[in-house]
Amino acid sequence: MSVWSTLNRTVFKRTSTFALAVAGGTFFFERTFELVSQSIFENLNKGKLWKDIKHKYEN
Amino acid sequence: MNSVVRAGHLAPYFKSSTQVVANSLKPLVVVPTPSEKTVVLPLPKTSTVETLHGSLPIQGLKVKAGTRVPAQVRFAHTDISYPDFSAYRRKETQDPTSKANETIDERQSFTYLIAGAGSVAGAYAAKSVVTHFVSSMSAAADVLALAKIEIKLAEIPEGKSVTFKWRGKPLFIRHRTADEISTEKAVPVDTLRDPQHDDQHTQNPKWLVVIGVCTHLGCVPVANVGEFGGYYCPCHGSHYDASGGIRKGPAPLNLEVPPHTFMDEGLLVVG
Repeated sequence: MSVWSTLNRTVFKRTSTFALAVAGGTFFFERTFELVSQSIFENLNKGKLWKDIKHKYEN
Repeated sequence: MNSVVRAGHLAPYFKSSTQVVANSLKPLVVVPTPSEKTVVLPLPKTSTVETLHGSLPIQGLKVKAGTRVPAQVRFAHTDISYPDFSAYRRKETQDPTSKANETIDERQSFTYLIAGAGSVAGAYAAKSVVTHFVSSMSAAADVLALAKIEIKLAEIPEGKSVTFKWRGKPLFIRHRTADEISTEKAVPVDTLRDPQHDDQHTQNPKWLVVIGVCTHLGCVPVANVGEFGGYYCPCHGSHYDASGGIRKGPAPLNLEVPPHTFMDEGLLVVG
């Protein structure tokens, strides 16, 4: 529970730190989210993507 | 006396039969009321439903006010089971004696965490939408693919100017001879109308890359003609030298040099 109180006192209580945390969190969230969704897409379309069939057409 | 007062609805019947007189001088004496003096209550006028109800021997509860009398009458006292809301209470506030100040972090932080996570997702969504619409304003990939041309320099012999089409405009690429290079480098800059040295036109002195549009009114100059051996515009007689610089005629500026890079193996990329 001390984690909550630390979090509440240092980040959430002040609007400035809250907004800063949101902005910083968005940066990391974007990177992770796009990496994950990209890997899911490539996993679902394995064998159909250009990088998978590239070797057939390029030397 | 007290019993008379307490038994509210029985009071009229008691009053009619007995009378209790309290006196400090004399002992309490119960005086039986003489029978001839029996007070018979007169029938009340029954003009409305309420007055009729009031005449009935079974009367409703009467609330008596006073210092020694209970101010209200309740049917239920201790048999009411109040609902237990502890299942709906937070764990931090189960104890009613706990101070709000001490439990505020536990109560608030999770709500704030959810709000923060929602804000992060919202900011990401907003950024994605804005990026999507802003990037739709930029050139499409097929347009960008046409925006560059690759030129194999080995195909252009020395001393020749070859014309290509680049972004809808003629592009002159001139393989200059050593003689032309030394001539153009020797031209004093301060005598030129548009003072730019040859080094500012060319990345590699052997190759001149200019857009073949006359800076006067947009005609296409002719290569290897004119008084200065470079380009000549037949429309109004502007003479350009082999560096693309304007030397004579109405044109105000030198020929425009597009952005270009020399790749290895004699490959030139314009655009």
